Amino acid sequence: MVGVRRLEILGGVAVAGLLASLTLVLADLGFAPLAALRTLPAANVDVIPATSALFSFTSLGLVFEGIFLTAALLVALASLSRPSDEKGAAVFFGLLLLATLGMTLAAIAADLIFLLLAVEVVGISTYLLVGYPRRDPRGLEAAMKFYIVGALSTALSFFGASLLFGAYGSTNLVVLSQATGTVGYPALALAGYGLLIAGLGFKLTLVPFHAWAVDVYDGAPTDVTAFLAGGSKKVGLVAFFLLFIGPVSLVVVRPLTCVGGVCPTPFDFAPTLQLALGVVAVVTMTVGNVLALLQREMKRMLAYSSISQAGYMLLGIAVGTAPAIAGATFQVLGHVFMKSGAFLVVAAVAGLGVGPLIDDWRGLGQRRPILATAFALMLLSLAGIPLTVGFLSKFVLFSAAVEAQGYFVWLAVAGVLNSALSVFYYARVLKVMYVDPSPEQVPAPPALPLGGIGYARAAAIAIAVVAIVALGVDPQPVLGGLQSAANHFVLTGP
Amino acid sequence: MGALDFLFGWAFLVPLFPALAFVLVGLGGTRMKRFEWGGWVAVALSFAAMVVGVLIGVGEMLSPGTYTDTSTVWLTVPGPVGPFPNGFSLVMGTLVDPVSALMLIVVTVVGFLVMLYSIGYMHHDHGLPRYYAELSLFLTAMIGLVLSDNLLEFFLFWELVGVCSYFLIGFYYEKPSAASAAKEAFLVTRVGDVLFLLGVFIYFATYALAGGGAGWAAAGFKFASGNGPFLGSLVTGASSPTLTVAGLMMLAGAAGKSAQFPLHVWLPDAMEGPTTVSALIHAATMVAAGVYLLAVTSLFLGFTPTDQLAIVAVGGFTTFFAATMAVVQPDIKRVIAYSTISQLGYMVLAVGAGFTMVGMFHLFTHAFFKALLFLAAGSVIHAVGTQDLFKMGGLRKHMRVTYVAFLVGALSLSGIPPFAGFFSKDDVLASVYSQLGAHPAYWPFFLLALGAVFLTGYYIFRAFFLAFHGDRPRDAALPAAHEGPWVMRVPLVVLSALAVLAGLFVFAPPFAHLLAPGFTVGGIAPALQGVALGANVPPVYGTTDLALSAVSVALAGGGVLTAWRLWGNGRVYALPEGSPAAPVRRLLLNRYYMKVGYDWIGQRAVYSVARAADFFEQFVIDGTIRGIEGTFARMSDGLRRIQTGVVSDYAAYVVTGVIGLLLLLLFLGPWIVTALGGG
Repeated sequence: MVGVRRLEILGGVAVAGLLASLTLVLADLGFAPLAALRTLPAANVDVIPATSALFSFTSLGLVFEGIFLTAALLVALASLSRPSDEKGAAVFFGLLLLATLGMTLAAIAADLIFLLLAVEVVGISTYLLVGYPRRDPRGLEAAMKFYIVGALSTALSFFGASLLFGAYGSTNLVVLSQATGTVGYPALALAGYGLLIAGLGFKLTLVPFHAWAVDVYDGAPTDVTAFLAGGSKKVGLVAFFLLFIGPVSLVVVRPLTCVGGVCPTPFDFAPTLQLALGVVAVVTMTVGNVLALLQREMKRMLAYSSISQAGYMLLGIAVGTAPAIAGATFQVLGHVFMKSGAFLVVAAVAGLGVGPLIDDWRGLGQRRPILATAFALMLLSLAGIPLTVGFLSKFVLFSAAVEAQGYFVWLAVAGVLNSALSVFYYARVLKVMYVDPSPEQVPAPPALPLGGIGYARAAAIAIAVVAIVALGVDPQPVLGGLQSAANHFVLTGP
Repeated sequence: MGALDFLFGWAFLVPLFPALAFVLVGLGGTRMKRFEWGGWVAVALSFAAMVVGVLIGVGEMLSPGTYTDTSTVWLTVPGPVGPFPNGFSLVMGTLVDPVSALMLIVVTVVGFLVMLYSIGYMHHDHGLPRYYAELSLFLTAMIGLVLSDNLLEFFLFWELVGVCSYFLIGFYYEKPSAASAAKEAFLVTRVGDVLFLLGVFIYFATYALAGGGAGWAAAGFKFASGNGPFLGSLVTGASSPTLTVAGLMMLAGAAGKSAQFPLHVWLPDAMEGPTTVSALIHAATMVAAGVYLLAVTSLFLGFTPTDQLAIVAVGGFTTFFAATMAVVQPDIKRVIAYSTISQLGYMVLAVGAGFTMVGMFHLFTHAFFKALLFLAAGSVIHAVGTQDLFKMGGLRKHMRVTYVAFLVGALSLSGIPPFAGFFSKDDVLASVYSQLGAHPAYWPFFLLALGAVFLTGYYIFRAFFLAFHGDRPRDAALPAAHEGPWVMRVPLVVLSALAVLAGLFVFAPPFAHLLAPGFTVGGIAPALQGVALGANVPPVYGTTDLALSAVSVALAGGGVLTAWRLWGNGRVYALPEGSPAAPVRRLLLNRYYMKVGYDWIGQRAVYSVARAADFFEQFVIDGTIRGIEGTFARMSDGLRRIQTGVVSDYAAYVVTGVIGLLLLLLFLGPWIVTALGGG
């Protein structure tokens, strides 16, 4: 077929739009070369918002907007190289952009209801994304499961929010963060937070709210999986940041207003919440890693690895100091490139006619050396091997936990042991790709440039690889920014 | 100061040129089939590096001082961490001071000349892209090492030059001897490297704790801050045992890299690499990095008197010890290799006696005349296809340029005035002599160094007469000799000129002040150095020094004359039957049996340790790991059953999770927190 395909026009618009948004967000973050494009005066960033505000601009929120836009951009770019003229390109890109909109709104929320609604926008668009190739029964089944468990979680979240409203008389995150130990019903507040952990933990695939993720990641079209794992799941993490770093003063760095020489004490149940988050983090990383060990399908293995990575990120919230937040954010950023990149490679390899099992990847190192090297690099980064971003983000995160002393040291120990465990299943893939011999019959690749991968997908994979190495070798420019954003966030809150 | 400051901001550019060549040739080099464009790219970029490098070097001579650029922060560790209240950062910076400027000139000039020479010398070889890429990477690493502004960066590049040396020694990897020589070089220098790293740690810990984290380490392992003394002032009692040990570790690192006794065994075997590699890496630059390390350490960290005696002992002994082995070698490259070890000994000796700049001066001249000797020898090997001196002969007639070049190099090495080697070697001897009163323990090593002067004149002219004199080659099967192409002759001419003139720099005003009394480097107060640089006035050519010069020239001339008596005019001297010298000759040819001894140690001690470790590995470690893996695999198998695929089960897990969380938050959690003591 001659001429430009429908897919390419729609995708081109989506990519251009995302790129423009990303540029503006970078400008607002104070990225010097783009200073002329800045629309948000620096004075309006990182100020404590009014108690009636629905949203507020924080450096950390802008950082997360940038991360979400990057993930969406990678996926949209790669999707330009679909092998066939599938139907539904408009639906795909439309839903992708709608989900991205929800994610960016969640990042700047200052009100709990606003936050939950934004999360819901993401949820509904992603349910549809998973099922958009309507003829694929696996996708439809996955979408159905995703929707049912998602609806349950939404109900839990809103129930939790209503309990908090009952306890505090407001859903504004600023009010919650300024609240002191005078609340009449601590049990009510605790139960509210517990329900919110459950409801939002669904998004972040925390154990035991994770069970949908594997079936959905496996059943969805792989490009959508890349978006779910690399992008939309991090919305849960943003929500946790907004909920927990501010209001219950997990870390007492915020100056509390003293009246007449009497300074209020932060809630005495803050340590309890920290403990619960720590327990969930360790359980999540351990269960994710252990289950990944025996998976025979590539996508399911990566799905479990994604669950365990969520555990590492939650560790940053449990610890709650500025370095830990910076580490968790860095982990999120790296995960965009590692996990989205890995799923994009999986999609590319599936497009080459390779089966879903890990064993089907035999001898890929000889047949497609460049693609195999890219995938190997992503796996090494996920395992946390030095000179990749995965190593540095874990290093920053775990050292922040050790610095925080107390039982957080044990959280760091659990994280390190889990990293060691994860090497088992990543290394197995490397062995299959490089040591095992190639199967005798190799299917012919589709008629796309670059041996059936397509320029756009190759570009997306290349961006991910470059980012993994660049952030792993010279992290300071980015990490420094994240550290300062985290410091601001701890001081001024949502 | 001022007008030239912009130059020092360019320092970071110098290593980037060869790095670019490494990338270009390394990635695209396999497409250089018909025309050696890769080689010319490497030559062009090393030329660019030389231009900028020499500009910076000359700029430093004109306005001496310490110029640092620390704008590239590799990693910041925010404080408080350990003993550092403000955290610390690891910087990839550059530092230009008189010492590094001198070294920079040597590395970039010799690097460019060798690269140019390679075009002709390596023309017939396979694997040229690999050669030029690796040589460019080596130049990058070496320049990076020279310009490092902190010990950690220094160590990174130090290891990188080691790796490049390994690659290039093993360039002819299909030859088993080359492969094993590469391995040997890597392993022996590793011994020094490990100790060096230990020394870095000791210094780091000592200075970090002494300064309360505010000083050295907080600023990122730096050699010097821009504004003055930095290190020694933090530690009182500079003769502390800790610092002595740290200094000895630095000496060990230097001994490994610079092939000093007892870690010298690898350098002669490293001659398995191409001759160009020997000239650049194993004569002029990388092996000098050990001396450079000692120089930097003595200037910025300071040695204790015990350290100094150890350094003098190692250097002085090595000068003589290596020279004796050069006397009997039949291989032209190995003669020069032993001579390199011996000359490096002189540099170590001078640094140990407290005359850092004198040692650096000898390094400077040696780089040129030794690279010249190697390239001339390479020209010979290129022409006749053998390295065996006893097969050569009569090459003088066919290779005029090479003949003159080798002669200039040999005269310079022997220390005959007015060649460059005379000035620097004489300065070394005079420096050590001036310390003899204060340190009687230096006496034996001074005498050994003096004795080595005689041997030097003898062994290099023995090789010279064997190769070039006589009527015809002793082996009739040798091909007819011919001079190499212009790319090989030009470096020989340039280096010949430098081998004559480099010594006169000592009288040139911008250079002379480096050796002048009272000179200090970059604001480092003399009192902080083990033996103050400024307090020891380097040779001023008074009566004593002139007498000493006369003695050393007489010794060198005696060596040359002896060589002429025994080997001149195509004579081949053979020891008479039953001569008492025969066992000595055997001992020397077998290199004092030290390699045999090391191999024995390696086989007996290391193999038994290895066997024990293997047993431990197989049964204890592997067993444990397999056990852990098996346990988790069983766990995984069990847990997998919960992934039923039934959505109502998943909802049940969610509800169970909520109940569990609420139990934890409302009942269990507060109790645990109380038990932990309030979190």
